[in-house]
Amino acid sequence: MRTDHGRNWHWHTLLWLTVLVQLWPLVFMISTSFKTMDQVFQSTLNPLPYPPVLDNYRYVLESLPLLKYIWNTLFIASGVTIAKVATSILAGFAFVYYEFPHKEKIFNAFLFTFFIPITVVIMPNYLLVAKLGLINTPWGVMLPQLADGMGIFLMRQTMRTIPRPLLEAARLENAAPWTVLTRIIIPLIKPSVIAISIVFFINSWNEYFWPLLVLSDKPAYTLPLALQMFISAEGGSAWGVAMAVATLTSLPPLLLYLVCQRFIINTFMQSGVKG
Amino acid sequence: MNGVIFEHVCKSYGENMVVKDLNLSVKKGERLVLLGPSGCGKTTTLRMIAGLETITGGTLKMGGQVVNTIAPGARNVAMVFQNYALYPHMSVWENITFGLSIQNVPKDEIKARTEKALEILNLAGLEQRKPNELSGGQKQRVALGRALVKQAPYFLLDEPLSNLDAQLRLQARTELVKIHDLFQPTLVYVTHDQVEAMTVGHRIAIMNQGMLQQLDTPDIIYNHPATTFVASFIGSPPMNLLQGHFREGALWIAGSRIDPPAEWQAIFAQHPHNWVGIRPEHCVLSDKPQLRGEVELVEHLGGNRCVHVRLNNDRQRVLCLIPGGETIPTGTIGLSFSWQHVNGFDGPNGVNIGHPDKVAYWRAG
Repeated sequence: MRTDHGRNWHWHTLLWLTVLVQLWPLVFMISTSFKTMDQVFQSTLNPLPYPPVLDNYRYVLESLPLLKYIWNTLFIASGVTIAKVATSILAGFAFVYYEFPHKEKIFNAFLFTFFIPITVVIMPNYLLVAKLGLINTPWGVMLPQLADGMGIFLMRQTMRTIPRPLLEAARLENAAPWTVLTRIIIPLIKPSVIAISIVFFINSWNEYFWPLLVLSDKPAYTLPLALQMFISAEGGSAWGVAMAVATLTSLPPLLLYLVCQRFIINTFMQSGVKG
Repeated sequence: MNGVIFEHVCKSYGENMVVKDLNLSVKKGERLVLLGPSGCGKTTTLRMIAGLETITGGTLKMGGQVVNTIAPGARNVAMVFQNYALYPHMSVWENITFGLSIQNVPKDEIKARTEKALEILNLAGLEQRKPNELSGGQKQRVALGRALVKQAPYFLLDEPLSNLDAQLRLQARTELVKIHDLFQPTLVYVTHDQVEAMTVGHRIAIMNQGMLQQLDTPDIIYNHPATTFVASFIGSPPMNLLQGHFREGALWIAGSRIDPPAEWQAIFAQHPHNWVGIRPEHCVLSDKPQLRGEVELVEHLGGNRCVHVRLNNDRQRVLCLIPGGETIPTGTIGLSFSWQHVNGFDGPNGVNIGHPDKVAYWRAG
């Protein structure tokens, strides 16, 4: 018993330290957004601004087309999410319920895309988007992201947990594949679909590098791109304002995650469907 | 002509052949039970009728048509799965009406059929419940309801009662028989429970290791098993199978000389190495015994007692059923049996060699 207690105590300390290290940038971001420029430089690491000011937020809301940026980001993130979820479900369905030549090889090829770094595909993607005349449009950002290897993998794994007799019962009723998918499979795996949707949405919302290449006009910017205007050579070092934009940018995904935490954890822990 | 006919049907998974040269015909409106131990191929056979398993060889006919390559949805079969396969996200009503709704059956018709099924199955009032809010018996009835509303000419049931407790099972199988009598579809029922098979089936097909062992009425199967496998599989406690040798005009079992009647002598003469099959209820304690042995164990079976007797000079054991009120025997006892109830089996291949007129007698009875 004593040993167990001791061991637990050590683990807990370690975990708390990790949590603090992980949380520190977030705390730093939020506290800086409430500081004046003087406070930023005088008490840089103090997490409690005194007195807290809302000047940065006022500036952001008054001088930036923030709604436009939010709309741009939302449009791209929603489009990417819908496309990725749709393709993941359809591909997962095909991989689980259909027999076709080279099925395993094709599936492995999808899995292989996990391991290709984004930098490798950025050049051909950019050339393709440029050739199609989609530079500086949200479609250009979305086009190379319409399918996702991880999404296909997760949907396939989840669908495999559905007991076969449920689908056999539908086959005996002469149900078309679309009916089986929409009326049986999707309702059964709804939590997983919600979870991957959130993950896709958050990833797309936070995406910086690819939109930076495709979007060059300010009106087309997404929130992460708007952020860099305050900490670049172009905008100087308006740290307080930058942190206010950063806080506003990270708020929607954070809230989304908090609300749907249960689904996300379940999906990655691989929950099963009970027949 | 809505029967099901298997002609030389085989099913294999790679090298492993699970159904071997099956010839079986299910009559229209009949209740046929496929019975056998786990892995004997009975569920595969049922699934081949449903179209959920492909057929490796042979021909399967339904309603006079070859259906080897017909898709499950086009065969017009209703099936109850072992774990019921109810859609967990749908209510009882939605589960029952799902099939009809996707086949564009008119709404009034769906409503009428479903309400009737709910009434027959005593499920009224549970329409809006989800499967996880139902007991095992209720789930089983919903699964049955889903199959019933389809009004299909073929009704397939894959161990539908195996998840119910003993009391509920008894009730459910009685209901099942009543429902069948009401609609009279061609019913194929898979089970490993011999009591269920005996009570539900007009005929029973006993399978072992992918082969059909016997196809006949419960009476004939019980009283005239075709092979030693059927003899030992059907009946609880099972039939006693005693190793016999016929020489010098007499049958020798465990060193005891038994003189069979003339008609049996002729049979045993052709099969000198044989098995003598006697049901435990046909073995009686006797002062003029044909067999002698030591009482090893007495089991209480409610109304009866099962006495385990080890034969003298041998390692063979005989089970004997005696009424519960009788004195429990101990020590060395004598047993006798009537030749009228004996089944003889060939020693090497285990096939029944008993007189054929007996089968005719049971059929007439």
